[in-house]
Amino acid sequence: MASLTKGDIKTAFKTLRRNKFRSLLTMLGVIIGVASVVTVVSIGEGVKQQVNDQTEHLGKDLITIRPGQLLAQSVTSELSQSSLLGNIGTVGSLSDQDINTVSKTPGVSSVVPLSLVTGDVSSNETSRPYNALVIGTNSQLPDILRQSLEFGVFFSDDPSDLNKVVIGSHVAQILYSENVPLGQTLTILGQQFVVEGIFNQFQTAPLSVDVDFNNAVFIPYSAAEQITNNNSPIYEILARPQQTDQTSLVASNLRNSLLAAHGGQHNFTVLEQSQTLDVTDNILSLLTDLIGGVAAVALLVGGIGIMNVMLVSITERMHEIGIRKAVGATNRQILSQFIIEAAVLSVSGGFVGIMLSLVVDICLRIFTSLAPSVDWQVITLAFIVSVGVGILFGTVPALQAARKDPIEALRNE
Amino acid sequence: MPIIELNDVSKLYGFGEATTLALDEITLSVDSGEFIAFMGPSGCGKSTLMHIIGMLDRPTHGEYILHNRHVARLSPNQAAKIRRDTIGFIFQSYNLVARMTVIENVALPLVYKGMSLTKRLEKASYILERVGLQSREYFLPAHLSGGQVQCAAIARALVNDPKLIIADEPTGNLDSAGSRLVMELLSEVHRMGNTVIFVTHNPELTRYANRVIYMRDGEIIADEQTAIGSVASGALRSMYAIPKKTEEDDLAGVSAIMKAIPQASIKNATKHKHRKPVKSRRRQNKHHQKARV
Repeated sequence: MASLTKGDIKTAFKTLRRNKFRSLLTMLGVIIGVASVVTVVSIGEGVKQQVNDQTEHLGKDLITIRPGQLLAQSVTSELSQSSLLGNIGTVGSLSDQDINTVSKTPGVSSVVPLSLVTGDVSSNETSRPYNALVIGTNSQLPDILRQSLEFGVFFSDDPSDLNKVVIGSHVAQILYSENVPLGQTLTILGQQFVVEGIFNQFQTAPLSVDVDFNNAVFIPYSAAEQITNNNSPIYEILARPQQTDQTSLVASNLRNSLLAAHGGQHNFTVLEQSQTLDVTDNILSLLTDLIGGVAAVALLVGGIGIMNVMLVSITERMHEIGIRKAVGATNRQILSQFIIEAAVLSVSGGFVGIMLSLVVDICLRIFTSLAPSVDWQVITLAFIVSVGVGILFGTVPALQAARKDPIEALRNE
Repeated sequence: MPIIELNDVSKLYGFGEATTLALDEITLSVDSGEFIAFMGPSGCGKSTLMHIIGMLDRPTHGEYILHNRHVARLSPNQAAKIRRDTIGFIFQSYNLVARMTVIENVALPLVYKGMSLTKRLEKASYILERVGLQSREYFLPAHLSGGQVQCAAIARALVNDPKLIIADEPTGNLDSAGSRLVMELLSEVHRMGNTVIFVTHNPELTRYANRVIYMRDGEIIADEQTAIGSVASGALRSMYAIPKKTEEDDLAGVSAIMKAIPQASIKNATKHKHRKPVKSRRRQNKHHQKARV
């Protein structure tokens, strides 16, 4: 039996080679399906890993407070997927009062507000204003983000540092076309600032809800209030508990005290890092499901293509089937021959699809910030799925061939 | 001891009004080691009978006992196994797989026995040597002469060492040299102790057989034992029964037509011819074409 199967596989490859163009067209559906499944899953995995790395870097005890109700906070503080997309763009802001509330909450060690200043940034050297992200914050930012400066120092909370600015590495490149623009000036909303420090490259995680700090200009919080006439909305407050193992407790304390301060209104969100991960996970799984569905349709179409070509092939080879049956092939032997042929077609498609997805992954790594991670489980799954598609869609034509009466089949020249 | 026994075997095709009786209650017994020729006009049911004996088809009625086993009602898979192990079938149109080499074709029945590739090729090569095609093993069937292809088909029929060889007009597509080659081979197969049944339209080929069975309209009308080497008497009669056509017959035919057509219409036709020669020539051409068709 083993030699029979081996022979069938050999015959299948021969047939495949004989009709190269037709085989390629047939495999196309499977190729696209498998390639998209593997690529999407590996991008998802890569993003998860990147977000994970970022979270590891930031520390599990970082607590983020955001305006608006990003997540439906139930008693168990579980995430509800349905509220996710509806509220992700909710506009709102936190207030100075919230900063006070947060810093007065028991167990909180450091509090960093992040306020948004809307306005172009221009340096003396480039006349064209640059649309950078201007964030007002305090001196504890590098500590809380665990981010070191590449050059210079971070500004202090001292009023003498009001005109100091620290910039992200991309901003340095774009505004000054040099790596160390220390002492250079830049203008935001008519106010001049002196560059005091440049951050090291921030780790960015694609699809995460965080902003890209590499494109940000950090100014002291009070300066931000000054230049905008107290009109710089706080979009995020970062806080760290005194003890790491009390993160959840502190977070719930924060929730309670903020709820009291807001008069019982749930118009804010307190997120622990693990929840931030969950948010990313949710977005990812939604995307993966969506594209997975598309890929499944592609595989279905591919399968139908295989079925169609197998039907044609069987009609063409009816005489051969007749001969094989006349010399003693049983129905099962004919059935297995054609199922194997369909499986070889779809597995070849799957193989090409996997190769294609690897190429796509490499391109993504080179040309984007995505770092897809392909693991053997996805490859195995893709392989199994392509074998399955071949067997599933090859069975009907193979059954047709197997049930053919030998005399009738021999009449087809 | 008979290896084949057919009792009242009938084969019907179609349903209801359109039913055709291909075989009409055939009763036949074939002993081991016989060399039987089946003769009869086209459409008399010879091929249908061969298909039933060769287990490629099942009788509608009647029983078929092959090697002491009732086989008329076996499932397609059981029939396939019997075909594979005990029967070698040779077709008029050779029926080799065109895209497989000669040796692959010959080894094909062994594939379904589950034999390993090396053993299959060894056995096929041995058989091809016996039929004199060893030098053509790796040729495609299209590259061989008709006689050689049929020899390869015989090799395929022999590769499983069957005791029964059935050949349905094995020489039907061959010239006289090819026919001779194939029949010599079959007769050698018979000499080795096998039972050989073949269908032929050529009375000369009954020389090879030791029994000749005549069929007409789905029935066996005569069954004659003959000596190998001499043309069967029934076959001889059929040879002489074929009307010979000579020049005289042709002329006689023409004069008969002339007599049948009234003189007046001939005259008219002649006039017509003179008036419109082009058209009449066209008509003549049409007649020629019809005749050719």
